[in-house]
Amino acid sequence: MTDITALRQAIATNLATISGLRTDSEVPDNPNPPVAIVELEGIDYDGAMQQGLTTLMFKIIVIVSRQSDRVSQRSLNAYASQDGARSIKIAVESDRSLNGNAMDCRVQSLTSVGSLELNNTEYSAIEFSVAVYV
Amino acid sequence: MAKYVVTSQSVTINSVDLSADCARAELVISSADVETTDFSSGGFVELQGGLKSGVLNLDFHADYASGKVSDTLEPLVGQVVTFEVIAGGATVGAETPSFSGSVLINSFTPVAGAVGDLATFSVSFPTSGAITKATS
Repeated sequence: MTDITALRQAIATNLATISGLRTDSEVPDNPNPPVAIVELEGIDYDGAMQQGLTTLMFKIIVIVSRQSDRVSQRSLNAYASQDGARSIKIAVESDRSLNGNAMDCRVQSLTSVGSLELNNTEYSAIEFSVAVYV
Repeated sequence: MAKYVVTSQSVTINSVDLSADCARAELVISSADVETTDFSSGGFVELQGGLKSGVLNLDFHADYASGKVSDTLEPLVGQVVTFEVIAGGATVGAETPSFSGSVLINSFTPVAGAVGDLATFSVSFPTSGAITKATS
């Protein structure tokens, strides 16, 4: 059985290897930036006979403070990079089995860069698309 | 079950169930065209059915784990082995018939795929001998 909760937690655990980045496997009521939130985006069933392959798409939203535009942009640049200590891609793919819950996973793309308003406060945010094969 | 959406065909090669690594299964049975055209054919080609043959076409997801598709097929190249395909399910029945026989494993692609894609490969095995249909 596919344990979606365990997959979200495993992605969050991998993200937590980035120093200073808070993580949440579920959407919180009051995010505390900088934070990476894992959301389920969609599921593609029946990739092989007899449910031999299911592809789950997750969205990772990284939210950072906009107290300083320059600082927030540089912070997002580091998270968006394909490599480096703060790379979201490197962190998520540091354990591609997601603690043994998946056959493979890959951060496919950065899908959105923009701002986000939460509780009357504006934040900068970027979103990533992650494919998980189970 | 009448018309159905393909989700659960059963594919077994050399007694190993490879269904969970298989994304497409197709068994084609055909006969040779033997021409019998003569002066009385009225200007049209006439044909009779000749020898029958079959091809088992399969699309797989590469998987190197023990007992999985890559591990199973690699040592079989050049051998004639048994196969069974059950249409629409894992259990043979009146509406989920099985087709079985032997195929020549004449090719195997151990490595395939473009960057970023799921690793997949396709095979096309010619059948050897009769193909048998069963409904129970």
